[in-house]
Amino acid sequence: MDIPSSLAIVALAALIHASFQLSVSVLTLLGGHAIGVKKTQARVLRLTTAFVAGTAVMTMLLLSFAALVFQSFFANAVPAFAWALVCGVLAGIGLAVWMFYYRREKGTSLWVPRPVASFLSDRTKATKRSAEAFSLGLVSTIGELLFIIGPIVVSALVLIELPALWQLAAIALYTAVSLLSLGIVWMLIGSGHKLSQIQHWRESNKYFLQFAAGSGLLILGFYVYVSEVLGSTIGGL
Amino acid sequence: MTGLAIDIVKRGGQRPSEQFSHTKLHASILAACLSVRTPPGQAEVIARTVTASLISWLQTKPEVTSHDLRRIASQHLHTHHPDAAYIYEQHRITI
Repeated sequence: MDIPSSLAIVALAALIHASFQLSVSVLTLLGGHAIGVKKTQARVLRLTTAFVAGTAVMTMLLLSFAALVFQSFFANAVPAFAWALVCGVLAGIGLAVWMFYYRREKGTSLWVPRPVASFLSDRTKATKRSAEAFSLGLVSTIGELLFIIGPIVVSALVLIELPALWQLAAIALYTAVSLLSLGIVWMLIGSGHKLSQIQHWRESNKYFLQFAAGSGLLILGFYVYVSEVLGSTIGGL
Repeated sequence: MTGLAIDIVKRGGQRPSEQFSHTKLHASILAACLSVRTPPGQAEVIARTVTASLISWLQTKPEVTSHDLRRIASQHLHTHHPDAAYIYEQHRITI
């Protein structure tokens, strides 16, 4: 796979990652609690920035870890069966996202285990310091691992076939793009927008976001299957 | 106002019931108002008014669920500040 195609796949995977909403939900709650207990705007900004930084660090760590594991298994050439397996995972998660991502009730409750949701909600309320907000960012990324595992795995496989310098660029690209939705909410909270407007937009468009994330995963899986599995089979004949 | 002996049955019944606390109710409504950037003075007035309305609603009840308390508080809050009421309702259903 050439470098532009690899980076395009990483960017698409990161965009799908960005459409998942657990971290955005936690950031919205965190902003609400911080403003609700009369913290200054600077303090709110520090907390939300620390949260976004925690999310970025955990995303980078997860991607790097996945790439390291795959590199130890496959060196620098990913076999067709691994690509096929990943395509199956992407399709499976895509269908699951279409069917289950949001709970069928008011609000933006997600299909994550309730104990995880309660833990994040309670921790959000208890977060007072930037270090706690940073940790919350780390944990919330792990909380949505069930869904982001697809984009992370496919990006990691693409990554190990790239030259070393491009690997760093791809990790940076993935992290930056995956933070897009979080970054937008962070900017809106930082610039003094009402949380009710943000949450209302999220609630009104939740099924569109669900459809977009599920479709993105299916499209990515199909593209990777055609280019890496069928391409290598036909090319090999 | 604080002398009401009402049990609040917690969500899902998994946590033990607790005594009604008007301070806790007031703080939660105040926080909802402030989180939608309501000026502090106005938020305080709204929180006091809604808490008073809730207390008069609670007078005849020996126990209520936390869900009902939140629902009725949200209804009262909606008449004063729809945005704050929306955030108040959404609190448990954001994640």
